[in-house]
Amino acid sequence: MADKQASVYIVDVGCSMGEKHNGRDETDLEFAMRWVWDKITSTVMTERKTDTIGVVGLRTDATNNELESDPNYHHISLLNPIQQFLMPQLRAVRESIQPSKTNQGDGISAIVIAIQMIVKYCKKLKYTRNIYLVTNGTGPFDPDGIAEIVAQIKNEGINLTILGVDFDDEEFGFKEEDKDEQKKEVEGFLKNVVEQCGGVCGTLAEAVEELARPRLKKVRPVPSYKGTLTLGDYLKDDTAMNLEVERYPRTMIAKPMSSSSFVQKSKPEEEDRGGPSVRREIKEDEDGKKMSYVKNERTYLVQDEMEEGGKKEVDRDVLEKGYMYGRAVVPISSTDESITTLETNSSYEILGFIPRQGYERYFSMSTTCVVVPQKGNRKAAMALSSLIRALYELDNYILARLVTKKDKPPVMVVMAPLIEPDFEALIDIPFLEDVRQYRFPPLDSVKTITGKVLDKHRNLPTDEMYDAMGEYVEKMDLSTFGRDDDGNPTDYAPPEDTFSPVLHRIDQVVRWRAIHPDDPIPPASDILTKYSHPPQELLEQAQKPLDRLIEASCVKKVPPKVRGKRDREQPKPMSGLNVDELLRSEDSARPANKKAKISSNNAIPEFKQSLVMHSSIEEIKGTCSQMAALIKEAITTSFADLLYDKAADMMRVMREELVELDEPEVYNEFLRDLKKEILAGNLGGNRVDMWKEVRKNKLGLLTSSESERSEVTEEMAKEVCEIFLFLPRFLISSCLVWYLGFINIVDFSF
Amino acid sequence: MSSDSKWRPQDDEADDEEEGEVDGTQYQSMKDAILFAIHVSPSMLSTHSSNDDEEDEGWNPKKKTPKCKPMSAVRTALQCAYEVLQQRIISNPKDMMGILLFGTQETKFPDGGSYNNCYLLMDLDVPDAPSIKSLKNLIQDEDEFNKVITPSEAPISMANVLFGANQIFTTKASNFQSRRLFLITDNDNPHSDDRALKNSAITRARDLYDLGVSIDPFYISNPGKPEFDPTKFYEDIIYRAPGGEDTDEDDTSAVHLKPTADGTLRLQEMISSIRTKATPKRALFTTKLELGPGLEIGVKGYILYKRQEKARSHYVYTGGEQPQIVKGDTTQLSSDTARVVEKTEIKKAYKFGGETVLFSPEELKEIRNFGQPVIRIIGFKPASALRFMDNVRPANFIYPTEAEFVGSTRVFAALHKKLLESDKIGIAWFIARRNAAPVLVALYPSEEKVESKVQIHPPGIFLIQLPFANDIRQNPETPLVRAPDTLVDCMRAIVKVLHMPRGYRPEKFSNPALQWHYRILQAIALDEEVPEKAEDNTLPKYKLIRKYAGEKVIKWGEELEEVMSADPGDGKIREKKRAAPEEDWEKAPAKKRAAKGGEEGLKDEEMRRAYEKGQVGKFTVVQLKGWLLGKRLEGKGKKADLVEKVEEWFDNH
Repeated sequence: MADKQASVYIVDVGCSMGEKHNGRDETDLEFAMRWVWDKITSTVMTERKTDTIGVVGLRTDATNNELESDPNYHHISLLNPIQQFLMPQLRAVRESIQPSKTNQGDGISAIVIAIQMIVKYCKKLKYTRNIYLVTNGTGPFDPDGIAEIVAQIKNEGINLTILGVDFDDEEFGFKEEDKDEQKKEVEGFLKNVVEQCGGVCGTLAEAVEELARPRLKKVRPVPSYKGTLTLGDYLKDDTAMNLEVERYPRTMIAKPMSSSSFVQKSKPEEEDRGGPSVRREIKEDEDGKKMSYVKNERTYLVQDEMEEGGKKEVDRDVLEKGYMYGRAVVPISSTDESITTLETNSSYEILGFIPRQGYERYFSMSTTCVVVPQKGNRKAAMALSSLIRALYELDNYILARLVTKKDKPPVMVVMAPLIEPDFEALIDIPFLEDVRQYRFPPLDSVKTITGKVLDKHRNLPTDEMYDAMGEYVEKMDLSTFGRDDDGNPTDYAPPEDTFSPVLHRIDQVVRWRAIHPDDPIPPASDILTKYSHPPQELLEQAQKPLDRLIEASCVKKVPPKVRGKRDREQPKPMSGLNVDELLRSEDSARPANKKAKISSNNAIPEFKQSLVMHSSIEEIKGTCSQMAALIKEAITTSFADLLYDKAADMMRVMREELVELDEPEVYNEFLRDLKKEILAGNLGGNRVDMWKEVRKNKLGLLTSSESERSEVTEEMAKEVCEIFLFLPRFLISSCLVWYLGFINIVDFSF
Repeated sequence: MSSDSKWRPQDDEADDEEEGEVDGTQYQSMKDAILFAIHVSPSMLSTHSSNDDEEDEGWNPKKKTPKCKPMSAVRTALQCAYEVLQQRIISNPKDMMGILLFGTQETKFPDGGSYNNCYLLMDLDVPDAPSIKSLKNLIQDEDEFNKVITPSEAPISMANVLFGANQIFTTKASNFQSRRLFLITDNDNPHSDDRALKNSAITRARDLYDLGVSIDPFYISNPGKPEFDPTKFYEDIIYRAPGGEDTDEDDTSAVHLKPTADGTLRLQEMISSIRTKATPKRALFTTKLELGPGLEIGVKGYILYKRQEKARSHYVYTGGEQPQIVKGDTTQLSSDTARVVEKTEIKKAYKFGGETVLFSPEELKEIRNFGQPVIRIIGFKPASALRFMDNVRPANFIYPTEAEFVGSTRVFAALHKKLLESDKIGIAWFIARRNAAPVLVALYPSEEKVESKVQIHPPGIFLIQLPFANDIRQNPETPLVRAPDTLVDCMRAIVKVLHMPRGYRPEKFSNPALQWHYRILQAIALDEEVPEKAEDNTLPKYKLIRKYAGEKVIKWGEELEEVMSADPGDGKIREKKRAAPEEDWEKAPAKKRAAKGGEEGLKDEEMRRAYEKGQVGKFTVVQLKGWLLGKRLEGKGKKADLVEKVEEWFDNH
């Protein structure tokens, strides 16, 4: 846990802050607030009660502070007392930060007010105390009594940071041309003050620039295992080796902030109120108060013929846990819930040592951990060190079995020595069950059907290609392309320099929206997409070999589906036999008289074959209408949903074939008709679930993106698909009743 | 079955949207059905002895393989089917399987019909307890086996077999992503003298192809007979994947089992090839690999390694006659009025500053949009740049496809060869599918490895996801202690004798927890006896370790004592702070460091003293937890609980 913190932001809102300088298209105040809001919102994001913020306005029109009776403290306003900063505070401060009409107000007095606030709030408690002042340095800064103030800042342990708009900064490399004499003086004075307090004074541009680099959250290491690393039977054998170790995560995926589901609260009175002023108020509230959480409520149903609707709701407490073994239900009563759990003891055991080459890097399945000696145990450290060094010298890895806690499943891990600061990394590796044994043909040779092995083939690279590839790969070397702080070549894009794009992007827009509720969201910052393309400079160097590689490779995009069926290549068996001819001949298995008619028990093959043989548009339509009839028949005669899969399968084939034939309208017409029939209940009762299958299987209208000749847009297709969403609920439940009715019938027939 | 998916709790879905990650969820919805069609004939029932050798494993002495009793091809196939069945219940619990015997004397087919001499031993379905039991029984009970598996005198009709399979697939597994017929036979020309029957079979095979069923043949050449000749009949019924001579998919390549030199059949090979084929090859994504501006090729992505977990548990209602899986129904309610809300009303919002920050659906899409799916290479590095610790999840495997870009394979092959030869890796920006979160990956080439004709590692390129800076944790603070060479020498001796030269081989290690889970379920489901002890080959071989390393460990232990007694640190920690990364710890305020120091120093004696005085409560929760964890006790609960646990420990020690 981090420390308690109290930070006071002093924002100069003087009249001159409303001006634009140095070619920026935002005012000095807007410029300064970019930094302030970033700081504040990242604090808000932590949602920590002990991370508190106060805000003071400098050079405000009005005066509102503890010392307001003293004229020295005029034009300074307390905008927000030190407290946890949440949305209401944020909104309030957002409203009050506006350029004022005055240039009066002493900056040093504002610092005194801030010190005062901190002293009162923090008392003598343990707090990190910060004061941030942002200003353009054109207002008054009264040096009177400054020594005392500096002493107090140091006494209280306050970190003072002053950021100035267009302050000169040699290190950063900024110098304002034609600087106003007074500002020059102020800058010098403030730098001096800060130096005395051990604080920081800088130019705002640098601070704003730094915002682009995402901040990382520090996570305190928490061990995932504490105990012994053993070799041999540590329980029974006195020759077993025992090392006291601790294991900590080394990598762990940082997840982006997650969103939750909300709905608009019911708000009957709202319409009545109306009026622009009230509207504004609603707008303000919209973010939070008008929304309420969505919660999930689960009910548990079992089939019960005695109950109305064939279903009975059961209480969760009477339920047991269970598993499926194939189709068999295996209930496990709560008393012996652990029966399927393998009994294990927390342990970390070495199986043996494997050569580095005996471990494939792509076996690694998980995040990694480091293993270090037990804290404060020098003997353990010495013992582990000998193991690490022995491994390193022999270029070996450890193969081990790890159980992190009692009765947790064992995992196999591999440990590699990591010699610099004497650490070990280790990774989980796969079991037999985790391997999917897919096979792929070799890439360096091609085997023909007859078993001949070729080393020249269109799928194999030519020497020229390989040569060009080699040169290209060498030229695109990243390992020396990066530059370190001193400009020396170094690795480009090491993991430590890369930032999770989605995580920081969401972070960025959430904070942006909180401050700018009405503005469109900004584009992702460049650093997040920096590694989405090869560096331009490197590409330029590699252009020649790339051009050569492109030419030698001669990669051609496959043209979109060839229109018309004549060009379609018909499938042939390995022997190359013309089966189409056979299908037409008398020898075919088809009963002769049925050749033109699709039979329901062999619908898909006969449909496809019919389309091959009958190619005019009329014939296609005829074949499709036969298929359509069969699909409807399947739906109509289906016991509950038993034949829905079959119908969906037929629809899928029909859809695919009509895309190939470039006749999208034939399918779309069928689909619209099917929807009508289902809606009308013409297909043997309520078939809403069939339509759900259509949606689930993505069998909607053929759109122009899928088939060129279609005039259906994505939206239209979506609409046709989704209309059932708005069906009244009773329709769906009556469907359930009907479904169960049939199950009973099936039971009787057994 | 089909309804199963409907009742899955909706809550799970939301997560998927959020993550947009490449995971296995897509796999599950792509269902697979396998029908074994096994030819029963006198030659298929003649027995062969098995003589497959076991591989040795480094310092482990050879295991003695019990000589298998002679087996027939039919029996081996059934045994195989049973193994595949058990394995698929674990790995693909929703997939279907069935067994059809043909050429049997007896006929058994659900619709009756004219499927003479076809015996549907197990209907195509997700296996249930009775069918598993009866298959097991058939394999174990010789009489039962002989009763069912008697070859018929009548000639077989392949057209019947194929149309029978067609009907089984049509009625049981329509709308499945993958449907396969495993045809196991030793007869290369079933219709040598009847052209009409042959043509009829050819048409029926085409029907299967058009239906989307692929035939995977397993040809068996019998010893002493002419070699099985697929050109006689089978090449007329087997289709290659669309696209002609494309090498894209090799799934259609037939498995051909030939007799060994000593005249026996390598039935083991059948088992391993069926096992391999039984896993349907499913691509996870298809996308573009961009080597540089203007050079794009097509690739398919697969997952070759993925942690196999137990299938999820269900709620079961046992109040009825039969235990029933309970169907859960989720309703979404508004928290203020408990009103039922429709999906369209729901808005996604982020919590911020105690309230919510809203975005329109278009904005939400825009926020996560980092461009089209692509693997875009941004450059290359030496393979050594990929550190051992740079890993967060299982790698994806990519292999070229010609479907989108002609020439993809040769470009991919050139890149693969170059990376392997110069020991380099590619670095790429990777978006797996639309709206997936972009990640950086290393393109790590894998070399093909073949052992006894079976591919162990496929050739291709693995995409190893690199951690972002956000994903990297700092190392914990530890004192730097370097062991002297004398001690390292002792350790080196131990490492050397326990060397496993063949490295890590996943196929040698079964997940004991997973196996136990399913073993128990099987025992309960099939009314078998519950085994007492789990088989666990992940345990170290204690006896061998003692035999080979025992003395050396003792020697190392003595050396360690000696080193420690001469150690200048004398048990105290010589704090050697390391530089940059630990900066933050340095800055940590005094109190916190004090607490941490306390934790470090919290030794047993200290705790015991406190215990004896009844002052265990004076330690902080963090200290207590740390101490308990060190004793492998659970460090959970309130402080009082922790104190109690500590006291309990001392009571017993």
